[in-house]
Amino acid sequence: MKTQNDYLAHFGVTPGQLEALVAEGLRSGGNWCDLFFEDTSYSELVLRDGEVSSGGSHIDYGCGIRVLSGEKTGYGYAESTDYAALLSAARSASAIALSSVARNGLASNHLPETPLQAEPQRHFQQSADNQTFTRHRLYYDQQQDWRACAASTFVPVLRKLESLIRAKDSSVHKVIAMLGHQVSEIMMYNSLGELTFDTRPVGGITVTVIFVRGGRTEMNNASRSFRAGAEMITDSLLEELATMVTKGMDERFEAKRPKGGQMPVVMAAGASGILLHEAMGHAFEADFNRKGQSIFADKMGKRVAHKGINIIDDATIPGNRGSVNVDDEGVPGQKTYMVEDGILRSYLHDRISAAHYGVAPTGNGRRESFRYNPIPRMRCTYMESGPDGTCEDLIASVGKGIFVDQFSNGEVKIGEGDFTFYVKSGRLIENGRLTMPVKDINIVGNGPRALADIVAVAGDLKIDDSTWTCGKEQSALVSCGIPSVLVKSLTVGGE
Amino acid sequence: MLEKEEKLLTEKCLQMAADAGADKARASLSKNVMSIVSTLDGEVDKVTSCLDRSITLNLFVDGRYGSFSTNKLDADSLRSFIGRAVETTRMLAPDPCRDLPSPSRTAKDAVSGNELGICDPAWNTVTPEQRIAFALNNSVSRQAGRAPLTKFFERASCVAVARQRSNSGPGESGGWKLISEEGEYSDSEYWNYVVDSQGTKVLHSETSFEYFTELTIQDSRGRKYSGGWWEASPLLKDFHPERVAPAALEEAVMQIGPKRCRSGKYRAVIDSEVSQKVLNPILNALNAFNIQQKNSFLTDALGKQVFPAGLDIMDIPRTPGEACGKMFDSEGVATSNHYIVKDGVVQEFFVNTYMANKLGIAPTIEDATRPFVPRFGSAGTARQDIMAFCGDGILITDFCGGNSNPATGDFSYAIQGYRFKGGKIVHPVREMLITGNIVDLWSRLLAAGSDARRCRAKLTPTLAFDDVDFSG
Repeated sequence: MKTQNDYLAHFGVTPGQLEALVAEGLRSGGNWCDLFFEDTSYSELVLRDGEVSSGGSHIDYGCGIRVLSGEKTGYGYAESTDYAALLSAARSASAIALSSVARNGLASNHLPETPLQAEPQRHFQQSADNQTFTRHRLYYDQQQDWRACAASTFVPVLRKLESLIRAKDSSVHKVIAMLGHQVSEIMMYNSLGELTFDTRPVGGITVTVIFVRGGRTEMNNASRSFRAGAEMITDSLLEELATMVTKGMDERFEAKRPKGGQMPVVMAAGASGILLHEAMGHAFEADFNRKGQSIFADKMGKRVAHKGINIIDDATIPGNRGSVNVDDEGVPGQKTYMVEDGILRSYLHDRISAAHYGVAPTGNGRRESFRYNPIPRMRCTYMESGPDGTCEDLIASVGKGIFVDQFSNGEVKIGEGDFTFYVKSGRLIENGRLTMPVKDINIVGNGPRALADIVAVAGDLKIDDSTWTCGKEQSALVSCGIPSVLVKSLTVGGE
Repeated sequence: MLEKEEKLLTEKCLQMAADAGADKARASLSKNVMSIVSTLDGEVDKVTSCLDRSITLNLFVDGRYGSFSTNKLDADSLRSFIGRAVETTRMLAPDPCRDLPSPSRTAKDAVSGNELGICDPAWNTVTPEQRIAFALNNSVSRQAGRAPLTKFFERASCVAVARQRSNSGPGESGGWKLISEEGEYSDSEYWNYVVDSQGTKVLHSETSFEYFTELTIQDSRGRKYSGGWWEASPLLKDFHPERVAPAALEEAVMQIGPKRCRSGKYRAVIDSEVSQKVLNPILNALNAFNIQQKNSFLTDALGKQVFPAGLDIMDIPRTPGEACGKMFDSEGVATSNHYIVKDGVVQEFFVNTYMANKLGIAPTIEDATRPFVPRFGSAGTARQDIMAFCGDGILITDFCGGNSNPATGDFSYAIQGYRFKGGKIVHPVREMLITGNIVDLWSRLLAAGSDARRCRAKLTPTLAFDDVDFSG
């Protein structure tokens, strides 16, 4: 287990320098300063045309310095942890205080003290020297550090995956498989004197397969990703990926676009969680609410879904792609109930929004890298299982509608609440039975209305471990999940 | 400015790679210096200062290939990184198709970095105070100050139409409200220096001045609408941030009072701001990588009449003074202004050195740098002309998600826009989708205008298509 001295040594800075940098950041009058040190190593291998003949690695190293003056942000960064470069970044960030003083005056804009000091102050100099990091629970670890594994270790893995795929379907024409892994060393220090640190691994395999049958071409893909070390690469994972990417191709070749329009939609457990991410999750992010832009901005404490529905954003699922031991503002990872028994209970907060609302931060302050200031972001967003039986029960209750089970992407307009997600595959529902396969359609709806229109929730919650990445201003690793649900009415695109 | 030391360091990477055992190598230095001032409701909200530098290395070792990048640019770190990179490359399978481009194809005329005249020396003169002034002075809510909301909304020329359509308006109790205005001014200077072990040395530089605003308003029913607009220019003298906030307000107000539209076939007019959405699948399908992987609906299209007679699609990366132009691609290969599609016939695939060797065909350029769709048909040049030509239909002003199948060209996109009749907008439409097939869609092209904004990388004008499937 690494100690705080290991992290300080890794970035080549001393406790005295951290204090001096914060002092420099606050010199012009800001009331909060934090430092975010990052050393990320990313590597990838690609199998294409039967050979693992492409690969590479990438290093991103630096430190971001943020100064807050009230709710206003000054941000600078350096791609070096040389003290002079850090000092320059701190001075750039401190400019926000000058512009705030000049334009607005500071007195009424200071962050309330309570949320920022809700946790006991932990000054690193008060800790025992070289004390092992124990402040936060560990939701992930590396038994086998990716950085200690040579590329040659994984070449046979991708070859085996291709063999498994080809053995399952003779119409496989091309296989592109990519194994990527990343380890980030993170160290944070703030003007409360808190020093936090983390080592964040993430690995993933993505496979795209081109199938050709009778002159027609179809494409399918599958992925799995976890916050874990190289031990995540197992025979069972490869078998799972091979099965996922070849499953349902007979139906895919038969599939047609359905007639479009409004209809009931049964969403299968797992990847349908993108509904929660796009349609509700973003609108629960507190920055949109703080600015009044979210369609849920005036709904706190009000019913937004049927009784019994619980929607959660969770950083604590072991090994999950969206989990964080500590967020990018040094706040511990946690499980946040956004909707409890149908009532909106909490937004997803970073420190700025938590101070604005006078609540404790929820550990959702995340950033793409040291180049970005943290903003409220989701982690693993899911709905808890419900009381309405199985997926089959939900399908049986629909006279005419659509069942969807695979998705590729989605988007939302925060103010309007209108969302879209792209359905890769599904089936028509006719008289309570699954009939014609459908593909390449979009489903659109409005977030609050769709949430209120979830009329049945099965008891089969499944977290989807695909390589979900959210693109709100910055990219962030996330995941999602949901039990099978019946939405009373959504718009389905079709012929 | 790209310092002499930074160029020398990039060139040294080639020697370090050779010392470590690489047969050939390419090194590409990217440097970006950017300042950003963000505003919220007419006040400074965030000030960001950025300096990014990284070197990307493409290594060719014992018939093998690897791609690596790092932003740790001190000589010791680089040497160690390159040594490990060469070792990693040796672990990969040989691939005889990987190679540097022939020196005869690389750009010889990208020497100063400013051959296109898009690196403005005035960038160096912009002060922090001016940046804040750019951001604040162009804020519509700051300009409105404490003026009544009615005055604020009257800045939108469509306010009377929206008031009539929604039977409500600003100013009255429970009327329209301004919820927020987010703005962002940024300026940057970007440098890219590419060298390879065959003697290629090419340099590109570009400045950019940008301003963006997103306004969120609320109607009398509590429904929110957002409108966004941006202006950008590589040259300070051509930068017009004052146009941004009024356009964003216009877009937000125009959306008040949406109605659902019956599903069916309509003429679709796609605004020039978003029409690249239906061009992108074509460009992707013409990429040799997708052709080689059989993941393209244009696999057999080269030299064939796939699109309507009279339709041209060009690449014009070497137009002086305009944003996003470039004299070379990422391999250092010289770009040129040329046809991608001429009179409906596909003229080229985008083929880099690797794909040329894989497919046994001549290399071209790796991708379209600045694609351009010239005017098509006789409907006119601007959106209003094209709507008048079409008579009735749906005007698409934004896409909200969706996808197209690269192997088949089938697409489904959610849209936002307006129902129009007799060439005039009647009401906004929401929660609608269009579906179809890209080749089939373009076969029903009625018109392409000439209103693409020059600040965009992809110069697609307002487009009109017949018989498009809308669901809602």
